[in-house]
Amino acid sequence: MMKVFVIGLDSAPPELLFNEFIDDLPNIRRIIERSIYGPMRSCIPAITIPAWICMATGKTPGELGLYGFRHRKGHSYDEIWIAHSLKVREKAVWDYIAQKGYRSVLIGIPPSYPPKKVNGWLISCFITPDSSVNYTYPTELKKEVERLVGDYIFDVVFRKEDRDSVKEKIWEMTEKRFEVIRYLIQEKDWDYFHFVEIGLDRIHHAFWKYFDEKHHLHEPNSKYKNVIPDYYKLLDREIGKTMKLIDDDETAVVIVSDHGIKRMKGCFAVNQWLIEEGLLRVREGDLPKGRIFRLEELRVDWDETVAWAWGGYYSRVFLNVKGREKNGVVRISEYERVRDEIAEMMKSIRGPNGERWDTKVFYPEDIYPVAKGDKPDLMVYFDDLYWRAAGTLGHKSNYLPENDTGPDDAVHSEYGVFALKMPGIDEKKIITNMTIYDFAPTVLSLFGIHEVAKSLRGVSVV
Amino acid sequence: MGEERKYTTVSIPVQLYEKIKKRIEGTGFTSVSDYVTYVLREVLASLEEEEKEEVFTKEEEEKVKERLRALGYLD
Repeated sequence: MMKVFVIGLDSAPPELLFNEFIDDLPNIRRIIERSIYGPMRSCIPAITIPAWICMATGKTPGELGLYGFRHRKGHSYDEIWIAHSLKVREKAVWDYIAQKGYRSVLIGIPPSYPPKKVNGWLISCFITPDSSVNYTYPTELKKEVERLVGDYIFDVVFRKEDRDSVKEKIWEMTEKRFEVIRYLIQEKDWDYFHFVEIGLDRIHHAFWKYFDEKHHLHEPNSKYKNVIPDYYKLLDREIGKTMKLIDDDETAVVIVSDHGIKRMKGCFAVNQWLIEEGLLRVREGDLPKGRIFRLEELRVDWDETVAWAWGGYYSRVFLNVKGREKNGVVRISEYERVRDEIAEMMKSIRGPNGERWDTKVFYPEDIYPVAKGDKPDLMVYFDDLYWRAAGTLGHKSNYLPENDTGPDDAVHSEYGVFALKMPGIDEKKIITNMTIYDFAPTVLSLFGIHEVAKSLRGVSVV
Repeated sequence: MGEERKYTTVSIPVQLYEKIKKRIEGTGFTSVSDYVTYVLREVLASLEEEEKEEVFTKEEEEKVKERLRALGYLD
C-alpha cells in the first residue's frame, strides 16, 4: 500500500524552484530529479483562498462559492464575511480516502479553521484567530503541539517597516512547523500527509524588491538581498531532515504550490478610476483632504452609482443592480450591456506611461461550471496581475508605485509548481500542461480511487 | 373549517414538472410534489445551516480581519 506525502509551499514559482535556485537546494533537487514535474496553472483567482482548497477538492471557486478571503453578505454594500473551513461543502481528497479507511495528517491547509473532524489529525491554517483557541482535531492534539514547540505560530504579518523582526519571526514559524511535521510523521499512523508552509509567501512579499533587480524599487546591495535565497535554503534543510523520516519505497512525495509570484509593478486605485469615469459617485464635500481612506469611510451616493470595486491581488467589481442591491440603479435588462461596457473600459486602461496593459476581465458564470454564493460581477487582473488593485481613495494619482496599505513588493502569478516522485521511479519527466485541478485526481489515483478521480474535471498525471 | 389546511398549491413550469416526473421514475418518490417538497426542505435546511455559521466571535473576527488586512487580502 502506498502512502502520499505532500509538501505545500505557498506561492513557490517554477522560475525559482525549478531553475534559479535549484543548485543550492540539494534535498529538493533530489526529489525533483526523480519526479514528474512542471509548472501548474492555478485557479482564477490565483490566491491562497481559494487555491489550496480548489486543489484539494478538484473543484472550481465557483463550485465552492469561494472567491477570496472576504465575501459580501448577500448583496450588502458594506457587510462582509471571512472565508473559513465550514464554508467548504465539497469533499477534499482526505474525505474520499477516509471512506476507504485511510488516515490523514493535515497541517495549515487554507481554509481549515475552525478544525473539522477528519479521519486522522488536523492543525488549522493562518486564518486561526490565535493560539488560544482550539486549532486541532482531535482537540487533544493541541497539547501535543504545545508540549513540542510552545506557542504555535500560524502566520507572520509582513507589511511593516521593521523587516528584521519579520524575517526572524518567519524563520521561527517555519522551524516550529517542521518540528511539528516531523513529530507527526513519526507519532501518527498516517496514509496521507499534507502540509502547507505559508512562510514562503510572506518572505516573497516582504523581501522581493531587495532580491529582484527588475523591481522598480530595487535596492541593490541591501542587507536583505539574500533573505529570499536564504529562506529557500532553510526550506531545503528542513525538507532534507524531514525526508530522512519518509520511506521512499512506499511513499509518493509531492511538492506543490497554490500559485506563483512575481514583482509588483505598482498598485492601481480602481475606485478612484471608477469615480473619474462617473461610475461611482461619492458626496464631494466628504472627501477627507491629505490622507488615504477606505470607501467604507465615505458616504457613497448609491442612487447615482453604477459600480464599485474591492482591491487586492485581483479586483472584484460589483454592479449596483436594481432589485438586487438596496439602492440599485442598473436595470436587469441592461445588466449584460453595462457589464460588457465596464469590462471594455477596464481592458483599455493603460499604464502610467501610456503603455498597453494585458488586463484580463472574467465573468464568474463564464469561467466556472456554476458560480455559487456571493460572487462578484467582474473579476479583474490588471496587467496580468502585475498591478495590484487598491480599493482606497485619496491618492494623488491612480498609479501608486508602492502598495497602499503597507510595504509589499510582490504580486501573484498564475503558475505554481507541481512535482510527484513515485516509489521505484528514478527518472524525471517534465510536463507542461498541468492545472491545479489535476492534483486531486492524481492523489485519488494513487490511492486507487479511480471512479471519483475520473468524475473530477482534472486529469490524473499517473 | 375547523382544521387548518395542510397543503397548498405552488406553480412550477410545465417543462420542469416533466423533467422531475422523468427523474423520479423507479425511485421511492411517488409524486412530483413529494420530490419537490423533499428538495426544497433540503435546500432550506442547508441555507439555515449556512446562516447560523458564526464561527468567529466579534472579537475574533476583528482580529482576523485586521490580520488579513495587514497581509494584503482585504485592500
